[in-house]
Amino acid sequence: MKFNKIAMALSLGGLALAGHAQAEEGKLYLFNWTEYMDPAIIQAFEDKYDVEVVQNYFNSLPEMFAKLNAGGVSQYDIIVPSNYYVPRLIKTGLVQELDKSKLPNLDNVMAQFQDPAYDPGGRYSAPYQWGTTGIIYNTETFPDAPKSWSLLFDPEVNPSHPFALMGDGQVSMGSACAYLGKGYDCTDMDDWREAAQLLIQTKNRDTFSGFSDGTPALQQLSRGVIHAGLSYNGDYFYYKSENPEAFESLDFMIPDEGAEMWVDAMMIPAEAPNPDLAYKFINFILDAEIGAQLSNYNYYASPNAAAEPYLDEVLTQPPIMPSDDDMQRLRFTPSLEGDQLQTFQQLWSEVKAR
Amino acid sequence: MSYSGVMPSARSRAMVRETRHLLFTVTPGAFWIFIFLVLPSAYLMGVAFMTNGPYGLPQMPLSLDSFERLAGFGFLGWSPGNLYTLLRSLWQTLVSTALVVVVAYPIAYYITTCREKWRPLLLLAVVVPSWTNQVIRTFGWMNLLAPGTPLSGLAESLGLVAPNMGLYPSNFAVTLGLVYNFLPFMVLPLYGAFEKLDTAQVEAAQDLYASPMRAFWHAVFPQTLPGLLAGIVLVAIPAFGMYVIPELLGGGKGMMLGNLVANQFAGASNWPLGAAGAILMLLATFLGLYVMRRLGKRLGGGEEVVI
Amino acid sequence: MRKRTLHRGLTAFWWLTLTFLYLPLAVVVLYSFNSANSSANFVSFSLRWYHRLLGNEAILSAFGNSLVLAISSSLIALVVGCVFGYGMYRHRHRKLGWLIVLIYLPIVLPDIVFGISEMAFFVQIHEWTGLLQPGLGTMIIAHVTFQIPFVALIVYSRFVGLDPTLFEAAKDLYATPVKRVVHFMLPTIKPALISAFFLSFTLSVDDFVISFFTAGPESATLPIYIWGAIKKGVSPEINAIAALMIAAVALAAILSLAFSRRRPT
Repeated sequence: MKFNKIAMALSLGGLALAGHAQAEEGKLYLFNWTEYMDPAIIQAFEDKYDVEVVQNYFNSLPEMFAKLNAGGVSQYDIIVPSNYYVPRLIKTGLVQELDKSKLPNLDNVMAQFQDPAYDPGGRYSAPYQWGTTGIIYNTETFPDAPKSWSLLFDPEVNPSHPFALMGDGQVSMGSACAYLGKGYDCTDMDDWREAAQLLIQTKNRDTFSGFSDGTPALQQLSRGVIHAGLSYNGDYFYYKSENPEAFESLDFMIPDEGAEMWVDAMMIPAEAPNPDLAYKFINFILDAEIGAQLSNYNYYASPNAAAEPYLDEVLTQPPIMPSDDDMQRLRFTPSLEGDQLQTFQQLWSEVKAR
Repeated sequence: MSYSGVMPSARSRAMVRETRHLLFTVTPGAFWIFIFLVLPSAYLMGVAFMTNGPYGLPQMPLSLDSFERLAGFGFLGWSPGNLYTLLRSLWQTLVSTALVVVVAYPIAYYITTCREKWRPLLLLAVVVPSWTNQVIRTFGWMNLLAPGTPLSGLAESLGLVAPNMGLYPSNFAVTLGLVYNFLPFMVLPLYGAFEKLDTAQVEAAQDLYASPMRAFWHAVFPQTLPGLLAGIVLVAIPAFGMYVIPELLGGGKGMMLGNLVANQFAGASNWPLGAAGAILMLLATFLGLYVMRRLGKRLGGGEEVVI
Repeated sequence: MRKRTLHRGLTAFWWLTLTFLYLPLAVVVLYSFNSANSSANFVSFSLRWYHRLLGNEAILSAFGNSLVLAISSSLIALVVGCVFGYGMYRHRHRKLGWLIVLIYLPIVLPDIVFGISEMAFFVQIHEWTGLLQPGLGTMIIAHVTFQIPFVALIVYSRFVGLDPTLFEAAKDLYATPVKRVVHFMLPTIKPALISAFFLSFTLSVDDFVISFFTAGPESATLPIYIWGAIKKGVSPEINAIAALMIAAVALAAILSLAFSRRRPT
C-alpha cells in the first residue's frame, strides 16, 4: 500500500519532468492580461474545435517577459503583449513569424493596424484590442480636477489624498515626461533624468501610496484606498459595469499634456507547443462577430474593421474612442533597446529604491 | 584508498564494507542536494560574473559589471539607489530583530513560569500562526492596516500618519510584518534557554546582589545568551533577505535587498545584477552563522541551530 | 509582593502578544463571512464567498496542485531523507563535516536565493536538454531539496536516542538486513517518520517564494494563486480560501497536540 503511494508519487513527478509530454494534444495555452477575455468566447472556441483552453494571466509586461524567459517560451501558445514589448520579443527570438496564409481573417483588420510602427508589415503580431492609459480620479475628492498630470505630480493640486503611479516604469516615466512638457514619448537622456527626479520627489511625498498596475489601481480607487491613479479606459468601464455603486464617483481622463495609446497584440512564442491551434485561435478572434463580442465584453476599442457593425454604442464614443482632440495627444510608449533600455532600467530601479 | 593493497586484512575489508554502506545510504540524499541546490547556487554565482545582455539575460564575456552596478555605478555615474536599499534592509533587520527580542524575551520567560503541563500548549499557541502561509499572514495585515480601518483611524487621530493615509503601505507596516513573522523563531530557542536555567545560580545571585536588576544581569541573562544568539540568527538572516513582506506591505517605498534581487528575475531586468545581490545575501548569511558559532563556542553553550 | 506584580504584568503581556499573533488571522476569517466586497467594513454575515470558491476552477486546481505537490514531495523526501538520516547515524563516528554542511545548506539558504538559483539553473538545463520544464515536476524537486534535511535530522536524532545494544539484539534476531529493516528499524522509528512526514508536508504548504520561482503555467499552488489575486487587487474570495487554510492549520495544531499528549516523548 505504502509502496503503491510512493510509486504513484514518483511516476507523477516523472511525468511532470518529461518536458514536452506536459503539453498535450488539443490544449491551447493562452497567456493573457488578467480579466481580458470573455469566457463565452473561450467556450465557443473550445466547442468549435473540441479542445481545451488553459488560461494563464499576467499583471504587467515585465512579468510576462520574465515568465517567457524562464521556460515559458515553450509552454504558451499565445501571448498578448502590448506594442512596446513587441520589438523586444522579436529581437530576443522569443516569438515566431506568423504564417499569414493561416490567418484569412487578417483582412478584417483596419489598415493602420495591419502595418503598425511596432511591427512593420505585421509580420509577427495580430492586433487584439487597443486603448488608452489615463488618470482615474475620485470626483468627490477632486470636483475641479484639472485635465492634467498635475493631479498626480503637483502637491498643490493634490496636497492631502493618497494616489498611486503605474507599476510599469515606462508608463510612469512617460507620464512624468508629459507633465514636464517633454511629451509622453520622450526618450532624451536629460528629459529622462529630469522625469526620474520628479518621480523620486513624488514617491517621497507622504500621500504617495505605491506603484500599482492598472487593474489593482482600479480596485484601490473603488475602495477609497487611493483617490487618483493610472489605469486603462476599458478596464475602468468594465469594472464600473460590474460594480456601478463603487465606481459612481470615479471618472477617467486623458491629460492634456499627452498620454499613452496602446495596442495589445497576439503573438506565438517561438517554441509554442501547439502552434496550429494558436493560428486557429488568432483567426477566431479576428472574426468580425467574435471581435465585436470581445470588445463589447472588455469595453476596449476594436482594431477589427469588420466588427464595427456589431459593436455596442458605448465603444464608439469617448473615452473608449477618444475625441479627435485627445487622439492628437496620444502617443505610443517608445519601445527601447540596447543602451537606451539599460539606461532606462537603471533610472527606474533608482526611482524604486529611493 | 585502503582496499587497493595486495592482501586486504579483515579489518580493512570491514572498512570497505562500511564505506560502501555509507555511500549507499548517504549518496541519494547528498546527490540530490548537490545536483539541485549546490550546482544551482554555483551556477547563480557564475551568472553574477557574466555581462548583462541587452534584454536582461546573462551573456559572455565574464566581467565584474554586476558588482559595480550593485555598488551603484552605472551609465549615469554613481547613484545611491542600491545603497538606500541595502541600508534599508539592514535597518529593517536591526529594528525588527530588536523588537522581536523585546517581545519574545518576556514571553519565553512567562511560559517557563507556567505549570509544566501547560507549557507545550502555550508554545503551540505562539507557533501556530507561523504554520499558516506567509502570504496569508501578510494579507491579514493588509486588511488590518489599510486606510479606513479602525487601527488606521486611531493612528490618524493620534497624528501618527498623514490624514487619509492608512498605516499600510509604509515602512512601518513592513517592520510590523517582519516582527509578526519572526516572533516564534525567537521564542522557541529562548524558551529552551530559560527551561535549562540553573535556579541555584539565580538564587545565589539574589543573595549576593541586592537589586533584582543586577541579579538578572549577572545570573539570568548570561545563561539565556546562547538561546538569544540562536534566535537572533534565526530572525536576522531571513529578515535580511525578505521578499514577500516588503513587496506586499511596503507599497514601493520599502524596497529591500530581497526585492532588488527578486525583481531582477521576476521582471527580467538584469540577471547578473540579481545574482550579485544574491551573493551579498549569501555572504551575510554565512557571516551571521560564523559569528554565531564563534560566540556560541566562547560562551560554552553548544546550542545547535535546529528549528 | 513585587514578584506578584511582575507575574501579573507578564500575564497581561502574554495576552497582548497573543492578540497580536491572532488578530490578522481572525480578521481574515471574519471578512470571509462579510457580505460586502470591501474589507473596510463588515456589513453582514454571508457565505457567498465560500459559494463562489466552489465554482472557481482556478482555485480548485490550485488546491489540487498544492496537495499533489505536498504529498509527493513529502513522500520522496521521506524515503531519501530517512536513508540519509540512518547513514548519518551509523557513521556518526567518522568525520562527516562536509555532509553536515550539505545537510544544513538548504536550511540556512535564504528562500529567495534558493528560488532564483533553481529557476536560473532549471532554465539553463531546459535549454540544453529539454528536461526540467517549469511545472509541478520542478516544484517537487525544489521542495524535496528543502525537505530532505529536516527528515534526515529527525530520523537521525531518533536513532541517537535509541539504546545502541538494540541494534546488536536485532542482528541476532533477524538474519537478513531486509528483515532487520522491515521488522526492527521501520517500526522503531515510525513515530519519527510520521512527524517527519507532517513537518515536510507543512513546510511544503507553507512555502511561497521557492514555489513561485519554479512554477510553470499549470502548476500554480494556493499561495501562488492568492499572491496573484492580491497583486491583481481583486476578489474577496481570497479571504475565504485563506480562512479555509487557517482552519486546516488550526486542525493540524489540535491534532498534533492530541498526538503529543497521548505519547509523551
